[in-house]
Amino acid sequence: MFSDLRRDVVFPVLGAIVLFGLFLGAGAFYQGLLGGHERLVTFALIDAIIVLGIQIYVGNTGILSFGHIGFGAIAGYAFALSAISPVEKIKRVADAPFGLVDVHLDPWTSIAIAVVVVVTVAAVVGIGLARSGAESGAVSATVITLALLFVTHELARNWPDMTGGDRAGLSFRIGGALDSRVPIYIAFFGAIVVARLFAQSRMGRLAVAAREDNLAARAMGVNPLVQQMVGLLLSVGVVGVGASLRVYQKGSILPGDFFFNLTLVTLVMLIVGGRRSVTGALLGVGVITAGRELARRLGQDGFEIFGIGLDDAPLDWIFRPNLKMVFLGSAMLGFMIWRPAGLLDDWELDRWLHGKFGRRRTKPPVPLPMVAPGNSDALVVRGIDVAFGGFQALRDVSIDAGRQEVVGIIGPNGAGKTTLLNVITGLVPVDAGTVELGGVDLTGKQSFQIARHGLVRTFQNLRLFGALTVWENVEVSALVAQTTRDQPPLDVDALVAAAGLWEVRDRRARELDYGTSRRLELARAAAMSPTFLLLDEPTSGMSDTESMSMIEQVRSMAGVIGAGVVVIDHDLNFITGICDRIYCLDCGQVIAEGSPAEIQANPVVQAAYMGSSAQQ
Amino acid sequence: MAELLQNLIDGLGRGSIYALLALGVAVIFGVMHLLNFAHGELITVSGYATFWALSAGWSWYLVVPLIVAVSVVTSLVIERLAFSRVRGADDFTLLLTSFGVHFVVSAIFLLYVSASVKTFSRPGWVTNTYAVGFLRIEVFDTVVIGVTVLALVATSLLLQRTMFGLALRAAAADFDTARLMGVRSDSVIRGAFALSGVLAGIAGIFWLMRAGNTVPTAGVNPMLKGVLAALIGGLGSLRGAVLGGFVLGLAEVLLRSRLPDSLASLTEGVVFLLIALLFIFRPQGLISVAHAERV
Amino acid sequence: MLEVSGLTTRYGEISALRNASLIVGVGEVVGLIGPNGAGKTTLLNTLAGLLKPSEGVVTFDGEDVTGSSPERLLRMGLALVPEHRRIFGDLTVEENLRIGGITVSTRRRQSLLEEMAEQFPVLRQKWTTAAGYLSGGEAQQLAIARALMSEPRLLMMDEPSLGLAPVMVDVVFELISSLRDRGRTLLVVEQNATRMLDLADRAYVLRSGAVVAEGTGADLRADDQLFDTFLGN
Repeated sequence: MFSDLRRDVVFPVLGAIVLFGLFLGAGAFYQGLLGGHERLVTFALIDAIIVLGIQIYVGNTGILSFGHIGFGAIAGYAFALSAISPVEKIKRVADAPFGLVDVHLDPWTSIAIAVVVVVTVAAVVGIGLARSGAESGAVSATVITLALLFVTHELARNWPDMTGGDRAGLSFRIGGALDSRVPIYIAFFGAIVVARLFAQSRMGRLAVAAREDNLAARAMGVNPLVQQMVGLLLSVGVVGVGASLRVYQKGSILPGDFFFNLTLVTLVMLIVGGRRSVTGALLGVGVITAGRELARRLGQDGFEIFGIGLDDAPLDWIFRPNLKMVFLGSAMLGFMIWRPAGLLDDWELDRWLHGKFGRRRTKPPVPLPMVAPGNSDALVVRGIDVAFGGFQALRDVSIDAGRQEVVGIIGPNGAGKTTLLNVITGLVPVDAGTVELGGVDLTGKQSFQIARHGLVRTFQNLRLFGALTVWENVEVSALVAQTTRDQPPLDVDALVAAAGLWEVRDRRARELDYGTSRRLELARAAAMSPTFLLLDEPTSGMSDTESMSMIEQVRSMAGVIGAGVVVIDHDLNFITGICDRIYCLDCGQVIAEGSPAEIQANPVVQAAYMGSSAQQ
Repeated sequence: MAELLQNLIDGLGRGSIYALLALGVAVIFGVMHLLNFAHGELITVSGYATFWALSAGWSWYLVVPLIVAVSVVTSLVIERLAFSRVRGADDFTLLLTSFGVHFVVSAIFLLYVSASVKTFSRPGWVTNTYAVGFLRIEVFDTVVIGVTVLALVATSLLLQRTMFGLALRAAAADFDTARLMGVRSDSVIRGAFALSGVLAGIAGIFWLMRAGNTVPTAGVNPMLKGVLAALIGGLGSLRGAVLGGFVLGLAEVLLRSRLPDSLASLTEGVVFLLIALLFIFRPQGLISVAHAERV
Repeated sequence: MLEVSGLTTRYGEISALRNASLIVGVGEVVGLIGPNGAGKTTLLNTLAGLLKPSEGVVTFDGEDVTGSSPERLLRMGLALVPEHRRIFGDLTVEENLRIGGITVSTRRRQSLLEEMAEQFPVLRQKWTTAAGYLSGGEAQQLAIARALMSEPRLLMMDEPSLGLAPVMVDVVFELISSLRDRGRTLLVVEQNATRMLDLADRAYVLRSGAVVAEGTGADLRADDQLFDTFLGN
């Protein structure tokens, strides 16, 4: 679950302690020196729990959910119905079903029940989201969650037997039922720890990879739906705790408490700080809480700043009550326009601390040795037909590749090379033909399944997991390989070193120069310990010298893991330099096959590339 | 049977307004890939303009064109101030920007005008009904459906017969290639917002006439209907948006009449549930426009 | 008419085009050939204003147009028939042509439409058909006619024979040939180097983003080593 205990557990917990302290310190400062009301700090803590819950999902999966407050409503009502005394319940919901009126549990059991209820609902919703093809940026997922928000709101308003309806709601006999903040402190600390541990866990990493590039993640064997579901359940659980505490603290619940307003507030907090980071989420809570409070005070009568009363015209025209709504909306708008990633983007306190103080070995490890691949598990592609609309992209294409070979596929633009690769790796369905690896029929399987079987590819347009470091990019594949392939765990350090990436292992993938990026893509694919590496134009965009060094790169990576190679490229120099055998495609068909020398001398190949003279 | 016909007409009346709103949302989505959560604010602003105009003694004959004019101006102002700065951004950013605009505008009204409901008098004929056989039809519904049909025909003509409409359709299909043809990106986006404003204005006329009042949050409901209807129809299809609007209107009316009394107030909730189910099983909406993913 | 000097275009870190220079004179047909991934499309897209170069100068009719927008370049007389044609599939043939002529006056546009109908009988037959239903060859003719609607001084074409059946390839090259005969100035990127060189006055060979050879069409056509130049040997 955690690949590096120091980085993934120890430092996050330490960081959580620091963040906890900072947050409470800020609260104490506010209460003590600025004479603030303690209720503000209490609610800020509770808001923080809710925002952290939302961050677990939105931050790690990249799916914008408007529905988490709807989940909060469900948890809040479940909590209220469990915890409020029957005496109070009779006043509002005398006709409640399932004998709920008589239920009276202590607050902690009630919170547990609320969490169980809401997580169950979330599981159902999660299945729906998966069905709709949710991924980062998907509109359908956002719509479904928005619908959830409205459904819960409408239910809460229009089911008075359960919820007390719109006007009355449910309430405890005493308002502000919590005597001490200790439970809130515990929940707050727990939320930070859960959020950070999830992000650092295997599940969390894979979720982030899928967030960065869904297609590439699937090509590395990740099934994003699993991570999204786990992330959703965890996040809803945390939100459920926060929502219950909110109800408990406020002493009542009304439908409007968990609707657009709270959605806006929590979303703005998440955006301002940086939705991809827990530290950012907390910063956002602090900034927005402070801003709202300031706005509220500015709008109050009698407020003075530097001796200027803000009640005097014309200033009183600007600073009025409800200023905080304008503040919130402007904050959301402003950040989206000028800093969509938030103040901290995805910077994490504990990762920074780990970087400074928690370094592991600084000596480069021994790079992996080359291995001799066995001769088993050949790739056999037979009779592939693919048509797009009326256009025949591939016609009866057959390819063989052995594990000890490097096989090239060349051909002019539009010949069908990438389509062939897409077919083999499951991105495009076939009309006819088979793809077999070591006798196992892979035709028509999904891309992540094919990757897990041992066919791993790279992409023509670079698709790295930009926000992850070099090391983490490689680790993603290794993590998947560990659990889905019968392989001994791969020494990621050694592979990174073998790829010549040791020096830059802690740099984010999006900061790398092009040549290094290509090498990383190769290393990441290799980390799956695949049977075959399928490379799609690995030298695209490179100069002649860079292309030549790519030959060595590919040989090295393939040699280190004992994989066969199938490579598509336009750079004939590169291809003839690296391949044992070459197929030439044109107009969707194989027109020639042979050794590099044979292919270069073949007039059919020349004609395909250079074009032929006019027919009559 | 009589009830069904009655529902049909009521549903068409509602659906007409939703169709206009949805079309306004779809037009902007076509050129900018932006789901405009701020679309309803055009009606909020028009609502206040209506209130002030009527309070100042204007007649409804003058207020009607005023609503459309205010709607168009507001739309263009919002484009200039907010959306022009996030062109080409990712979907997440675009969504939240429009959300932010929505909140800022309603907050401004909340702040600087009043949170309270501003009522104004509706034209006399709004509540009139007349009989056709066994049906009782509202004059209002008739007018709404009639005007909507005219508006849709006019919009269709605009899109199909004018160069502007052609430019808009081309830009929605392939923005970069449209620029290669010489279509100016600024012009076509502003044109889309203006058209969206006109459509919202016409919808707003009837929305306000039926409501008879305005509040800072007046824009939420029309925005939701417009956005949801456009989504139901399938983003990227103008025809789908119109269809989605009518489907939504009919669904609301039919549900309300079919649901047992005890659950009648849950109509809205059920509609949302159905929408969620639609998106679970058909995320591309009713009329899908194919998008290929380049590998 | 067109002078390009030291043009470099980057996609993030990649230099897709390195220090490319070329000249197109009035009335010339200039070919751009080379293996794929050579940067030919990047060059045309940069010239058409869809991409911004990071270095270099582009001069059109003596005026510096480096980094201008596509809208402006089109109005100056530089039109592009994009790779894969990019016709508007939901619009009819007539509408595609109309939008191609959006920058000319209404009257002129009308007479241009009539000209195109005459010049491209295949299109006239499918005048009111949605462009998405056209075959590859018909679509290519539409794309070219659409670009001609803007009355360009220099017409650029990106791989016009791409993905076409051999018969249609003939038609397209005949079309280019007749455009040449009418005195049009053309800059054509082509994968079919042989046929392009038969047609062109001059040509440049691109590989890995740089110009590696240039000469008259006839000279390059006769060059035995051309395939090797493609390979990079």
